[in-house]
Amino acid sequence: MASVQQKILTDTEVIRTVLDGDQEAFAVIVERYQKGLANYIFHMVRHYEESLELTQEVFLKAYANLSSFDSAYKFSTWLYKIASNHTIDHMRKQRAPESPIEVPDDEGGGTYELPLESHGQSPHESLAMKDMMGRIREAVEELPSSYRELVILRHFNFRSYEEMAKITGLPLGTVKNRIFRARQMLMERLKDVR
Amino acid sequence: MHCRKVLELLPKFIENDFSEEERAAVEAHLKECEECRLEFEAMGRLVDTLESIPPIGVPSSFKEAVMRALPAKKPPGEK
Ligand SMILES: [Zn+2]
Repeated sequence: MASVQQKILTDTEVIRTVLDGDQEAFAVIVERYQKGLANYIFHMVRHYEESLELTQEVFLKAYANLSSFDSAYKFSTWLYKIASNHTIDHMRKQRAPESPIEVPDDEGGGTYELPLESHGQSPHESLAMKDMMGRIREAVEELPSSYRELVILRHFNFRSYEEMAKITGLPLGTVKNRIFRARQMLMERLKDVR
Repeated sequence: MHCRKVLELLPKFIENDFSEEERAAVEAHLKECEECRLEFEAMGRLVDTLESIPPIGVPSSFKEAVMRALPAKKPPGEK
């Protein structure tokens, strides 16, 4: 295991190691993708604890099906496809796909701070900017889920259009049209602040 | 170039995926047309801000929890 983590292996190499019986090597995959998947799922289901549970389930599913992964494809695409199916399944079962955002609350009922990662913004980052981000995030979260998913994949997870098409199972043209529409919807909703 | 055509090209500019001719034509149009210019700027700002939203964090215990939840050691995929 140590050797796996010392060298930088490609996803495919790590998976081969796992399939060869080194279960611990799967930790490398979790490490690599936990943040991306958790963010994707969080913006889809809009509930932090739930998104972590779903993320764990996605990794377990991926592990269980690892031998069916075809290394001719990109592993990240395969993994996000599992996440997409699993999350959308879950949302369907919940039957409240367009409910207002649910933010976990402390016992005291105070406002709950999401554990946002700071990625090097200056401490002087303006309030206006934070406010703008908040507004945009809300607007994204209000998009219909089929549009929301594409915005998240593109702008939060930085997936290519082709990957997005494979992940969602939509034709490439549909992906392009929808993300264009989605951005227009965001612009409409943010008219007063843009 | 007409506004309509320029706005049709907007998504390509957001993705930085445009030809040299398209760039020249759009630039020329934006110099003349404030409406399209504002549209381009607003969309650019939207995408920039969207992409600078900080990601949510994952608890440091998460990876261990996943590893503990893996089925008892046997080659994955074999049932
Ligand atoms: Zn114009």
